[in-house]
Amino acid sequence: MDRRDFMRTALLAGVLPVAGTVPALAATPSLKFRELYVRGNELTDKAKALEGKSVEMVGYMAPPLKPEIDFFVLTKLPMSTCPFCESEAQWPDDLVLALTKEPVSVVRYTDLIRVTGRFETGFKKDTETGFVSFVRLVDVGYEKL
Amino acid sequence: MTKLASALLAGASLLAASQAFAQEALPQINDSYFKQAEAELQKIIDRKPNTGKAKNVILFVGDGMSIPTITASRIFDGQKKGVDGESNKLSFEELPYVALSKTYTHDAQVADSAPTATAMVTGVKSSNGTIGVSQNAKYEDCSTVKGNEVTSIFEQAEKAGLSTGVVSTARITHATPASTYAHTVNRDLENDSQVKEAADQGCKDIAAQLVDWPAGNGFEVILGGGRSNFMLESQADPEAADKMGARKDGRDLIKDWQAKYNDGAYVWNKAEFDAIDPAKTGHLFGLFERSHMQYDTDRAKDKGGEPSLAEMTTKAIDMLSKDEDGYVLMIEAGRIDHAHHAGNAYRALQDTVALSDAVKAALAKVNQDDTLVIVTADHSHVFSIAGYPKRNNPILGIAGEGDDKKPYTTLGYMNGPGAKLDEQRADLKDVDTQDPDFLQQALVPLGESETHAGDDVAILAQGPWAHLFQGIVEQNMIYHVMAKATEMASKPQKQASAQ
Repeated sequence: MDRRDFMRTALLAGVLPVAGTVPALAATPSLKFRELYVRGNELTDKAKALEGKSVEMVGYMAPPLKPEIDFFVLTKLPMSTCPFCESEAQWPDDLVLALTKEPVSVVRYTDLIRVTGRFETGFKKDTETGFVSFVRLVDVGYEKL
Repeated sequence: MTKLASALLAGASLLAASQAFAQEALPQINDSYFKQAEAELQKIIDRKPNTGKAKNVILFVGDGMSIPTITASRIFDGQKKGVDGESNKLSFEELPYVALSKTYTHDAQVADSAPTATAMVTGVKSSNGTIGVSQNAKYEDCSTVKGNEVTSIFEQAEKAGLSTGVVSTARITHATPASTYAHTVNRDLENDSQVKEAADQGCKDIAAQLVDWPAGNGFEVILGGGRSNFMLESQADPEAADKMGARKDGRDLIKDWQAKYNDGAYVWNKAEFDAIDPAKTGHLFGLFERSHMQYDTDRAKDKGGEPSLAEMTTKAIDMLSKDEDGYVLMIEAGRIDHAHHAGNAYRALQDTVALSDAVKAALAKVNQDDTLVIVTADHSHVFSIAGYPKRNNPILGIAGEGDDKKPYTTLGYMNGPGAKLDEQRADLKDVDTQDPDFLQQALVPLGESETHAGDDVAILAQGPWAHLFQGIVEQNMIYHVMAKATEMASKPQKQASAQ
């Protein structure tokens, strides 16, 4: 499925609202990156309360390894290897793993996206990729802002 | 009295009266701005240059702290405090002497932090990407290190028996702090795994250069980030069990440092840092993050806890001021630069305010008669303050509307992650541009990193010989003022400086 097909499917399925045409998911609580943790990986009361619920988060899709993906990493700021900041890939502590229902296309890592999905917490290792995550959004859809 | 004398006297009193009349008659004489400027003028008239010897030098470097960054940060700081932002003053704006610094390097119009820091601490311009070497060294050519090393004022100070310190919120092996002790043709060689075959050609990694630094009895204070560059790949990081050190050469550099200093203390978190008694500690080594320390905005959420730049500054001065011979200290706010690279003005401004707090803490501790305090930046960024926003408009807010009928923000970047790739710019109508995570819009899409800029940066100073900072000067003049003020040039040297 290319990105346009995904967008169409998502729109038909009501997963992917387009700003101005579909009302925002008013009932879906939004969760900011800075509302995830009190300190380290100690979750805030708000984050704990949203466990298992559908939430919206706004962030950036970190550059994935392949063009079509069924998961991506959502970051607070665009994730890239800044020539004067990082001599190696240094992942931030507050990234969120986003798992999609179906394969989706990649957006540029500097495009702001709003992601909606079921909020899960707790360490989990993906058996296929070996990727260890602590905070996840499951069955996500996203819209580009 | 002769007629002539009488006439002259009468004329003189008439002149005085008319001058007084003219001044009293000025309609603006009681205007608040007029009076404020008169008071400022009087302070300058009363100023007396200090030509005494500087016992101590503190060089504050706001990495990437361009002049618009200072302006925006003072407004940001004032507005956060609920006072008038435009007339607010950051602590270092009170420093009496100012010059502009020309930051071009031996081979570039626009600099990176490696040669600019080298210029400030050694007195010469050199090529981009190189640290602690002269113009004769070639970037990435390790064979050109030997024979082209230049001596930093920190090396001079150590050899002369003074104490030294280096503090940064970036990795302590990053270009600016590395300039105090390292000599390399590639700033990226921070640990041995990055050196690889270059080791055979004469390059040594920067972390190892810090621990093996031969000058005097070594830095009394080292505080910053970059822990992984000192740890083995088999060692798990204390803040994250799944993250390992970077070194492959079998050298546990933290252990090596501890073995070197019987009077030393190594710390990696805020609690350990707070527990350090400067009176009982000869050498202090603090590495608070695997990579860079947190932005000040995010610091409170750090797992292990990190001291603020002001707290590190205070501790460093308490450690170093035990030395009756004096000290030389560099304090870098290293992440103003990184936030700009990310196109995120909020964090750049907050880290500038953190620098202001650090300078304030230092000024409260030192004797300004014998301590030269300098605040400067290494280079600028493509960051601007635009439009015609009203007084007291939020500095992170909307300035106006473009011809495309979309709002634009006061703060923006010429290039960087805030530009869309082959798409129209976003409509900010319903966007909270004051959110800490908002990226200001940019013109040219450079997703990986906004760039430095080539405009001059400020030098502000107080203390002995600070009045030498005037006009528009070459960046490497900073070293020469420090050397003049400390009379470092006349100190006995065990080895001659490289050319």
